Amino acid sequence: MKRSGASSDSAAAASLSKGQRILSYILMTLVCLISLFPIVWVVLSSLKADPLAQPGFTLPTEAYFGGYISVFRDMHILRYFANSFIVAGLSVLFSMAMISMSAYVVARMEFRFKTFISVLLMSTLFIPPTAMTFPVYNLINRFKVNDSHAGLILIYTCSGIAISFMVIRNYFLTIPKELEEAACIDGCGLFGTFWKIMLPIARPGVLTAAMLAFMNYWNEYYWASMVLTTKELKTVPAILAQFQTAFSTNYNGMFSAIVVILIPPVILFCCFSKYFIEALSGGAVKG
Amino acid sequence: MNRIGKHQGWKKNLFIFLFLLPTLVCFCIFYLYPILTVLISSFAKWDYTNLNQMELYSLPHLFDNYKYIFTQYPYFWEGLRNSCIWALCGLVIQVPIAVTVALVISNKCRGWKFTRNVYVIPNVISSAAMGLVFLQLYNPRYGVVNQIIRLFKPDFAENILFMPKVNMIALTCAYIFFAGTNMIMVLGQINAIPAEIREAALLDGATGWTLNRRIILPLIRNTLKTISILSVSSGFLIYNEVFFLTQGAAGTKSISFLIRELAVVSPRAQYARANAIGSIQILGGLVLVLLINLLFYEKKERSASK
Repeated sequence: MKRSGASSDSAAAASLSKGQRILSYILMTLVCLISLFPIVWVVLSSLKADPLAQPGFTLPTEAYFGGYISVFRDMHILRYFANSFIVAGLSVLFSMAMISMSAYVVARMEFRFKTFISVLLMSTLFIPPTAMTFPVYNLINRFKVNDSHAGLILIYTCSGIAISFMVIRNYFLTIPKELEEAACIDGCGLFGTFWKIMLPIARPGVLTAAMLAFMNYWNEYYWASMVLTTKELKTVPAILAQFQTAFSTNYNGMFSAIVVILIPPVILFCCFSKYFIEALSGGAVKG
Repeated sequence: MNRIGKHQGWKKNLFIFLFLLPTLVCFCIFYLYPILTVLISSFAKWDYTNLNQMELYSLPHLFDNYKYIFTQYPYFWEGLRNSCIWALCGLVIQVPIAVTVALVISNKCRGWKFTRNVYVIPNVISSAAMGLVFLQLYNPRYGVVNQIIRLFKPDFAENILFMPKVNMIALTCAYIFFAGTNMIMVLGQINAIPAEIREAALLDGATGWTLNRRIILPLIRNTLKTISILSVSSGFLIYNEVFFLTQGAAGTKSISFLIRELAVVSPRAQYARANAIGSIQILGGLVLVLLINLLFYEKKERSASK
């Protein structure tokens, strides 16, 4: 695999003139610099005992880890990670269960209003969630789930239907019809066909959608900051808004806290980058 | 229905109904009901005086909320202008950046995979966290940006986030360069172009820029449309950057910021007015999607006539 990859790489690269190749390298370096600069700067600043005394993009005179210790000891940062994990995880579970069902029916069966329902669900992509701030806020209050994880999970499960629906439906569409018919002959019921045969085959599609959804829920700030008001319940993005006041003059502590918040998604991405990039580049998100 | 047999017809219909039900219920809760509320109550009186029950305006006063927002509410035009600027920035800055980076990486010089992965990193971090990072970068006392300015203007001590107009640039710079996910989508499509097409174009003498413009970009037009829609609508709906960087100070409010302000933050609970702005936002979003479709439709016609 390595070999063929290398040969096609060099074929693409060989077609470049020297000037183009140099330009490519310059741009690639620039891209890396721009992407990493903010993160590296925050990491450097978090290691300075007093960022005010050594401002700007400089190496710390000596590494100071006090900020990190206080982030874990005094801020209970792990609690917010647990909150985020519970909310994002359960939301993904519910929405994937729900959407793989409807996507299956729409992709594999004929019924009246099929196109209508399909268009209806896709059109939610173009509805700005912020426009519905008040009705949703009102609804959450009326269901008595404001300031609770349940409320946030409800919002997350219901929002973001469009992309998950598209990804999973497109995957179901690629499965050949014969499989279903064979299951039918073997005496699998409608539900059995879905549960035992179609869903396992569609697992890559569901996993792709689940990964994209999990990332969105993990990073979501707008609803999280609105629904959750009790500090202990907040998710990671929602707690960020309090950093500026919580740390008022303890800049070292603030930088350390920001780093602790930034690192897990980056590490996760480094581990799963292959799947993530495949999910986005495979055209799974296309209409 | 015919394939399975008539006696199983109702069973199958029940199955279809049950499988669609959860998604449709969620659709109604989170989309249908809110949209209807937003549209209807934008023509009603609904604020701190009648918290629990909205009252529809009588016919002559039907557009009072809109009238108030257009003529009296001091921030509406500022918010609309800024949101439109950010939508436009999505199209003319972010999309070209994403496409350029994708084209460069598709040359597959050594280190392309590394560059690709690094460029996605800022996108896997929540925009709230990135906002907070940039807030530190722009800090006049310990940030980097002011230090760079001081190289040219030694006594510069202002906070650029509170300088009108400059702060719009600062806010835009805090997110516009990070187009990693869009870039990946474009790159995926470029890499999916069969090698034969490239080779044929090379034989015809198309290289570098000509190859990109004449062969590759037309082939990935659909993806370009998709990422244009994504960039433009995310620019139009911007909230996190405004909230974290300036809290809407010094002329940087966006439409989303105004809606949140009126519906949740404001002590006068001006729900109906928030919903009127919400209706405008929904309409604006649809218009933008339509415009982008038109833009790409026209291009198609032109290249076909050539």
